[in-house]
Amino acid sequence: MTRLIAALLLAVATTTSARAAETTEGVRAVVGAPRGAPITGPDLDARAKEAAALLRCPVCQGLSVADSPATMAVKMKAEVREMVAAGYDQDQVLAYFERSYGEFVRLKPPLRGVNWLVWLAPLMGLLIGGAFVAWTLRGAKAATPPAMTQVPVGVDALPEDTALVPYVLKVRELAYGWPGGVRPKVERT
Amino acid sequence: MNRTVLGAGLALALPLLVVLFANLGRDPHAVESPLIGHAAPAFSLSPVDGGPAVSLASLRGRPVVLNFWATWCIPCIEEHAALASAAGRAGNDAQFLGIVYEDEAAQVQRFLQERGKAYPSLLDGDGKTAISYGVYGVPESYFIDAEGTIVAKFVGPLDPSTLEAHLALARGQKP
Repeated sequence: MTRLIAALLLAVATTTSARAAETTEGVRAVVGAPRGAPITGPDLDARAKEAAALLRCPVCQGLSVADSPATMAVKMKAEVREMVAAGYDQDQVLAYFERSYGEFVRLKPPLRGVNWLVWLAPLMGLLIGGAFVAWTLRGAKAATPPAMTQVPVGVDALPEDTALVPYVLKVRELAYGWPGGVRPKVERT
Repeated sequence: MNRTVLGAGLALALPLLVVLFANLGRDPHAVESPLIGHAAPAFSLSPVDGGPAVSLASLRGRPVVLNFWATWCIPCIEEHAALASAAGRAGNDAQFLGIVYEDEAAQVQRFLQERGKAYPSLLDGDGKTAISYGVYGVPESYFIDAEGTIVAKFVGPLDPSTLEAHLALARGQKP
């Protein structure tokens, strides 16, 4: 019985390692040989997590592979970890997943082609908006009427209807304190 | 002043409207597979009911229909009959293969016993094959020509005529 279990375990182990070799071949066919040396330990954990955080979980809504508990994301995380352990760098890991899932799988769009718009559009929006605000403020300033003097403009004018003239003069005398309703001559110094 | 404001508003809004209307009929989840026109990723997987592993390389020379599926997936159950009958009709001219996606071997075996098994279904326990093909969900079908190049990908349940049309592409016939 023990022997049977041992044989079974051995068989499982052999097929698993055979499968691992096969996958490495598949990865190699897409992104070539690893650029770095194999890594282990906390360094591996940190780098695998970093790479997984840049991959979009294909079955989620806007979640990274690192953050998602979905089965698919867990399997992708394992694949990322395996690649990083073999010495593949972040670019190679992302390129491998991009090959099958397309650029959509990258949470951070690479700076190429039309993607430049994503980075430049906010800046351009800010510039255009700023220019518009400056232009509007300047226009508003130009349109502001000159500050009111103490006596409103046109107050010296008299109505065409001569019958009204005495009343207007009377109002001015009362309102402004001008003797006879006529503006006194101001001495300018 | 008003004309300028109107002009500026239109200049900002028009490109947005164009983008909106150009994409209204598009499914935002339908991302075209970058693998089309490229070599199908290799795999060697064990059939769900035992026996030697099946590798894609061993099928070179015949078109291959690769169907990712699971027993918990309702559309997969819907397309099962269409796939089985097409596989029967194709005989040795084309190889149909199922790849089990996030499911248990026992469940899959029971399903195939009940509904009929026309071609092998392979286990992809660690999901590496699904990942290498860029599978988003099931069902997804890949049509591979005799040279091992992916010629088409179909997302969702296949009906008999869609299946025939895609299989014709894999056979190298013009649609």
